[in-house]
Amino acid sequence: MKAKNILRYLVLIIISLQIGSCSSTDAEQKFDQTPTERLNAQKKELSDVLLTSEHGWKAVYFTDNTVLGGYTHLFKFAADGSVQMASDFDSDTKTYKSEYAVQTGSTVSLVFTTKNRIHLLSDSDNYPIELLRGKGYLGDFQFLYYGQENGEIIFKTNRNVQELRFVKATAEDWNNLPKHTDMEKNVVGADTRPLFRLLETNDGTAKHQFDFSFTQVTRFAEANSLETGFAMSYDMGIAYTENGIIVSPAVEVSKQKLSVFLYNATDGSFTATGTGGVTATIKYSTKPLIITEDYKTLLDGKPQMVLGYIAANLYTAPTTSNLCKTLLDKANATLPANQKISRVQIFFNSIYGNYIEYRFGGGRPSVYHNFTTSEDATNKTIILTHDSWDNGTAYIQAPAFLKELDDEFFNSKGLYIKKESFTITYSNPIWTITSATTNFRMTTYQLN
Amino acid sequence: MKILKYNNIAGLFLLLITLVSCGSDEQPGESQLDYTQPEKTTLDNWITTNYLNPYNINVQYKWNQNTVDNNRFLFPPSLEKVQPALEIVQKIWLDSYKTIGGTDFVKKVAPREIVLVGGVNLNTVGTRTLGLAEGGQRVTLFETDYVNKQNRANIKEFLHTIQHEYIHILNQNKPFDEKSWAAITPAGYTASWHLYTDEESNEIGFITNYSRMNINEDFAEMASMMLINSKTEYAAILNGITSETAVANIKAKEALVVKYFKDAYNMDFYALRDEAEKNTNAVINN
Repeated sequence: MKAKNILRYLVLIIISLQIGSCSSTDAEQKFDQTPTERLNAQKKELSDVLLTSEHGWKAVYFTDNTVLGGYTHLFKFAADGSVQMASDFDSDTKTYKSEYAVQTGSTVSLVFTTKNRIHLLSDSDNYPIELLRGKGYLGDFQFLYYGQENGEIIFKTNRNVQELRFVKATAEDWNNLPKHTDMEKNVVGADTRPLFRLLETNDGTAKHQFDFSFTQVTRFAEANSLETGFAMSYDMGIAYTENGIIVSPAVEVSKQKLSVFLYNATDGSFTATGTGGVTATIKYSTKPLIITEDYKTLLDGKPQMVLGYIAANLYTAPTTSNLCKTLLDKANATLPANQKISRVQIFFNSIYGNYIEYRFGGGRPSVYHNFTTSEDATNKTIILTHDSWDNGTAYIQAPAFLKELDDEFFNSKGLYIKKESFTITYSNPIWTITSATTNFRMTTYQLN
Repeated sequence: MKILKYNNIAGLFLLLITLVSCGSDEQPGESQLDYTQPEKTTLDNWITTNYLNPYNINVQYKWNQNTVDNNRFLFPPSLEKVQPALEIVQKIWLDSYKTIGGTDFVKKVAPREIVLVGGVNLNTVGTRTLGLAEGGQRVTLFETDYVNKQNRANIKEFLHTIQHEYIHILNQNKPFDEKSWAAITPAGYTASWHLYTDEESNEIGFITNYSRMNINEDFAEMASMMLINSKTEYAAILNGITSETAVANIKAKEALVVKYFKDAYNMDFYALRDEAEKNTNAVINN
C-alpha cells in the first residue's frame, strides 16, 4: 500500500473517531436522582420515620429460627441520637438509654452504637448452648434499611441478611413487657400440669399429633410426629407475648401459616387458629402419647428383670419428673447427711419374687417392699399390689419416711412402663416408670 | 505535496479534537455527602482534652463495623464505662511514659486510634483475645464494660493489653535484638501455647504461656508483665519458679528489655516500671 493511501485511511479513521466520539454519552437514566442523592434521601427517610411513632417501635427478633427463639425489643428513638430500649431477653424488662445512629455505607443502616439491651444477643461470652460458644445468641445490632410497608419498617440484619420488621409499638407493649417473663413460665410448664405435652394440628378434617419439647435456654421447641408412616416435624423458635407466643417458622397446616398462639390458663394450652377449622394446639396430656406394651415383660412368668434408679446418674435425667425428685428429696431430708437413698431397684420375677429394694449410702441397710403384679390390659399399665416389707432377714413395719415415695408405685391405676431409645452415662437401656394418676416418673437402668 | 496536504488535514482534526476537549465542563458543586460532625457530648469533649489534643490519639467508643471483626459477636461499651476505663489507661500507661520518656514521647510514637469494645472476644478454642494492635496504628481493647477499679487483678489484665500492644508499636519503630533473644529459649515456641499454663511456661523460661507464641510476643509479654506487676509481684513470680535455668533465661530476657529501652529510647525501664506501679496504686486506692 502506498503511503498516500495509508494517510487517507488514517484521516478517515480520525474523522470517524471524531464523529463517533460526538455521539451522546448520556446513559439512559433509570432514576431521577444520582445514587448519592438517593442514599441521602433514604437516610433522611429512615431518620424521620424512626421518630414518627408516638410510642416507638417493637421488633420481635428471631436471630436464627433454626436454633433459637425470638426476643422482643421496644425502642423509642429521639432526635438527639439517643434511644430508650427495653427487652424481654431476661427478667430485667426495665427501659435503658443509649445511643443510635443512621449510617450510610453501601446502604443506609440503623446502628445501636453504644451498649443497651439488644447487645445482650451479641455477647460472645454469653452463649446458651455449647454449639454457640463464642457466638452468643447470634444477634446483630446493625440493621440495613429496606424500606417501609403498611407502616412497618423493613430491615435486614447486617451479618446474615435476615428480615427484621419494626412495627409501631403501643403504650400497652411497654406496660406488658414484664408479662412476657410470666408467659415463659407457661411455656416451660408448671409442675402441676400433666407430664406429657403434644402439638396437635387440625386441618379441618383430620388431626395429627406430635410430641412437643421445649428448651428454655434457647427458646426453641421441637415437635416430632408420633404416627408411624407420617414422618413430619415442626421445629420452631418461640417468642413470648403478653397473652401467648409467636412461633417462627410458622406451623403450616393445610397451607395456612399459623404463628400466633394464644394461652389458655385453664388447661395450659396454646392455640393458633386459622380459617376453615384449621388449628394448631400445644397442650397437655395425662397419658403418654405413645403407650407401649413394654410392661408385659415384667408380668408373672417372664424372666427376671431389674430396673434400677441410681441417684448419682439418674436424679438429673430429663425424664425424672419434678414430683419424683421432690419425693426423693423429702425422704432424704429425714435421713442423716451420709445416708441418702442411693438406689431404688425393682426386681421382677426374681428367685425371691417381686420386690423394690431401697438402698442407702453410709452403711444404712437396705429395706425391701415385696409385691405381686397384675395388668390393666385396656390402659396398658402394670399394677403393683402390696405384699410385705422386710429387711432381708425378717418382716418389718412399712418405713414411714418412704411412704409418700413408695405409694407412687402402688397407685391403683398402675404404672406405664416404657423402654426408652436413649441412654445415660452407661450403655444400659433406660426404662421409665410413670404413674397413671400423678406426675410421678422415675428413670431407671435395665440392670440384668 | 499531497502527503503534506493530508498531513495538514489530519493536523487540523487533531487540533480540533484538542480544542473541543478543552471545552469547559460543569465544575463540581458542593458535596452531596453529609460532612457535618455529630454534636459533641461531654464525653467526646473529655476525650478531645485528654487524648486527642495532648497525644494525638483518637478514641472510638461508638460502634463502627469497619473497625471490628464482623465475624465475632462483640458489642460496644456502655456509655458510662468509657471514661472510667480511659482514665485508668491515661493514668497508668500514658502518664507513666510521659513522666519517664518525656512529654512528647507518646505523642510521637503512639497508636493513632484506640477502639473500645464492651464485651469479651471469646475464641472458639476457649481463649479470650484481650486486645489487638493493627499496624501500629490502632489498638482495640476488649472487655471495657468489665473494668473494675477496685480489683487489682482486673486492672492488671486490662492494662496488660495496652502495655503489650504498645511494646509492639515501639518494636515496630525500632527493632529489638531479635538474634540474641531467639538464642535464649529457642525450643519453647509453639502455636499451641494455649494448651500450657503460665506456670508450666515459667518453668522453661517464659514469663507467660502467650510468650511462647513467637519471639515478638515473648518480648512484648516480658516487658508488659514487668510493667503491670509491681517489683514485689514480679519477684514473687520468679521466686515461684523451680528451674534455675528458667529463672536465668527470664533474667536474660529482662536484661535485653532494659537494654532495648536504654539504647532505642534512652529510657530507664526500671524507673518506668516504678512509675507504673505508683500510678496503678493510685488508681486502685482512689
